[in-house]
Amino acid sequence: MMTFDQNAFLIILTASLIAISCGLLGVFMMLRKMSMTGDAISHAVLPGIVIGFFVSGSQRGLEVIIGAGILGIIATLVIDWLRQKARVQLDASIGITFTLLFAIGIILINLLAYKVDLDQECVLYGEIAYLPIDLWISDSGFNFGPRITYLAVLNVTLVVAFITLLFKELSLTSFDENFSTVIGLPTKGINLALMSMVSYTTVSSFEAVGAILVVALLVVPPATAFLWTKKLMPLIQLTSALGIFIAITGYYCAYLVDSSIAGMMVAVSGVLFLGTVIIKGKKSNFTFELPWKKSRLALEDKTL
Amino acid sequence: MITQVDNPILEIHDLIVSYDQSPVLWNVDLSLPSGKLIGILGPNGAGKSTLIKAIMGLVKPSSGYVKIFDKTLEQVRSRISYVPQRESVDWNFPASVLDVVMMGTYGKLGLFKRPGKKEKDIALSCLDQVGMMSFVNRQISELSGGQQQRVFIARALAQEADLYLMDEPFAGVDMSTETAIFHLLQEMTAQGKTVIVVHHDIHSAMNYFDWMIMLNLHLVASGPNEKVMSEELLRKTYGGKLNLLTKVTDIIKQKDFNPLKN
Repeated sequence: MMTFDQNAFLIILTASLIAISCGLLGVFMMLRKMSMTGDAISHAVLPGIVIGFFVSGSQRGLEVIIGAGILGIIATLVIDWLRQKARVQLDASIGITFTLLFAIGIILINLLAYKVDLDQECVLYGEIAYLPIDLWISDSGFNFGPRITYLAVLNVTLVVAFITLLFKELSLTSFDENFSTVIGLPTKGINLALMSMVSYTTVSSFEAVGAILVVALLVVPPATAFLWTKKLMPLIQLTSALGIFIAITGYYCAYLVDSSIAGMMVAVSGVLFLGTVIIKGKKSNFTFELPWKKSRLALEDKTL
Repeated sequence: MITQVDNPILEIHDLIVSYDQSPVLWNVDLSLPSGKLIGILGPNGAGKSTLIKAIMGLVKPSSGYVKIFDKTLEQVRSRISYVPQRESVDWNFPASVLDVVMMGTYGKLGLFKRPGKKEKDIALSCLDQVGMMSFVNRQISELSGGQQQRVFIARALAQEADLYLMDEPFAGVDMSTETAIFHLLQEMTAQGKTVIVVHHDIHSAMNYFDWMIMLNLHLVASGPNEKVMSEELLRKTYGGKLNLLTKVTDIIKQKDFNPLKN
């Protein structure tokens, strides 16, 4: 039995916003071949969250986001350093960096357990179903509504603003990093800014969907959309649309089998991706064999 | 055989570049005249690309310095244009030909500003110069190797620079495209621009370049084409690569090329 009430609406809205934020950043991470760096960041922020939590004494403090942001940048820098200076392969340096930082986070949680109301489960899995009861209530007692929805709105606004403002820089540095350095754009700065946005988005979303599922939202919708289109704007639009679709379908699938919403969202995106691969796999094989298409390209070459 | 010039457009002084302690460029010391089509010649692994990258600040030299227009790189970035090797980027990137050529204008545009009509017009005229007008809206993933190379050259043209550095612009390009690009480069030098090209084909190098740099870890020669194109210097540059050397000798014989005649 499908229902649509206020709670369902809020959960779907929040999940869509998170999926859009992650998808938008995920497009550029994918184009930079850095999807797994996003994975690393989403885990490496854990010590930052714990320290921020310890300093501010609350899970909601600005310190938590700042702590996570700093750790995200540190993770990026360490990965880069290992790769360039220590000559470790990219995948190995990602594996080393984020497991180490994540382990430090877990040790910190255990050490500070008596002071910190935080556990690995919460960071890793999150639970968006609790959203309607986690309200933002002002000091005077006014109820603004679910806190995480506000976080998601703020997050998506900042992500959209970031990408709109730096669209040309982000696309150029993603396509040809050397060239952008040569023409004098602050390539490293833009890279770090993108990594900070990913860290911030991870933290902003971890209560709702958890660090593991954030990775799925960063990687899977852009990868799916890229199989359908080879143009940047449609790619971004399709990724966002997929995010919304995943949120709605994920919610109702979870409702039907009474399971985790975030888990179901990722399962849905996985199925979507698989379906796309099967459809596109057949189709691209088909076009690949079209002899007249090939000869048309060859002809255009000759006329040049 | 190293000819130094007065008022050089590019001056490289005692440049040493090494990767992981092993030097790939030894004591390169040269100066180049402006308004010339300049070729960098040498066998694989001779450090040709490294030299270009060191000039563009993409690799840090262990010692020595580079001066362009008698200034440091930072001061003259907007006057220098760069064509990287075609393989250095992933051509599956979701962009159209026009998008990529417009990227050449981003340096002058500065941060945050969006490219507008003016940038688009520049990009279109550059595409026209390389004969790619009919491909403006084509996705770059659908281009052939020679077309990709033209797109990269158009992007460099869109930078509207005075000095152009091109890394292997003729790699994987067919003869007719190569000739077309060489004519374009000659037109550019006729307008007073300086073009430096990493190249590996000795035959076409003899026909088109005004000035030649021969490199094999150290600098073998730098000077006007007719002065440095000798069997001795080519032998020095290409060293033990016998197979290639015989080919070179053949070419020189065919062309009845005798450096002593001049």
